[in-house]
Amino acid sequence: MSASTTPESTRSAPETDRALVAAYSGGDERAAGELIERHTAALGRFLYSSGADRDDVDDLIQETLFRAFRRLATWRGDASFRSWLFTIGNNLLRDHFRSAKGRRMLSLDAHDISDRRDPLSDLAAAEVGERIRQGLAGLPRLQREVFLLRTQEGAPYEEIAVALGTTPGAARVHYHHAVRRLKELIP
Amino acid sequence: MSECEWLSDRMPAVALGSSDWTGEEAAHLDGCLSCQAEWNLIRLSSRLGEGVGAELDPGAMTRAVLDRLGQSREEARLRRNAWGFAALAGTAAAAMVWAAQTVVTPVAPAKAPLVALQIQLPELDNLVPSELDAVLQTMDEPYVGGSVNDPAVASPDDEDLESGFDTWEG
Repeated sequence: MSASTTPESTRSAPETDRALVAAYSGGDERAAGELIERHTAALGRFLYSSGADRDDVDDLIQETLFRAFRRLATWRGDASFRSWLFTIGNNLLRDHFRSAKGRRMLSLDAHDISDRRDPLSDLAAAEVGERIRQGLAGLPRLQREVFLLRTQEGAPYEEIAVALGTTPGAARVHYHHAVRRLKELIP
Repeated sequence: MSECEWLSDRMPAVALGSSDWTGEEAAHLDGCLSCQAEWNLIRLSSRLGEGVGAELDPGAMTRAVLDRLGQSREEARLRRNAWGFAALAGTAAAAMVWAAQTVVTPVAPAKAPLVALQIQLPELDNLVPSELDAVLQTMDEPYVGGSVNDPAVASPDDEDLESGFDTWEG
């Protein structure tokens, strides 16, 4: 092994998602492991925030990753790999909700939440978080995806637009609609 | 863009820790109830589900995904083989049916060439055209002996038959 390709030198410059995808497509399974390690936690948060039951998240993550790797060639790299994963996860979640209609979470009304004076206390935050999660599950798909890509990934509207097949202006409108509706759920 | 809209656009970055409020922004936030409500929402949303996927073992997840991909590829290969075999069997069956039809189906007899009806009447050979015309006119004359529905014609007696034969034979 030459000095320029020592493990230290390769570790110091993390490979881009695009490079890892190319490596996996060339037969390097280690690249798949790197991609999975890089995005699993964020994908889990996204699925959970979108309304998935905590018990279902592991299976949904695995199914999302399986579907993503099976059609890896369709990721063109215009949007980030993570945004693309989220889009696949969201489609999967929609099918999941359809097949388990009876178990779909019900949205809470205002009287279901106790009157908390300190919304930042752990319990109150957890309660409000749950309320937001259920509010998100009730949003139209684009509003929910745009909102989560903005708030959990900090994605700019341009990238969100590419990932979701819309325009940056429309993504901004979806975001503000989502914010307006979700704000009503917070005491 | 209003200050509220400006702050709204900046909230995700600040909530995720990639940016901080400026003094002006913080001052606006302190005095704007609408921005405070939105900030609460964005802050809580950015932390929503923290730790949900983090407890997973990425190595185990990778193995599970790669195993499934391997199985999927194998199933696809078997499906392709099955389709190939089915196509081959179909082709063979079609070939056998075709061959059987070729052997069993009797060859249709060639149509006999259309030949004009020729009746040999040697007694007419010696007649001149004017005599032939006279014969033809006689043949064209309608039969006046009655209709076939006529009971007399339908069941002729010997005399009627003799009379008929005389007429035909001249």
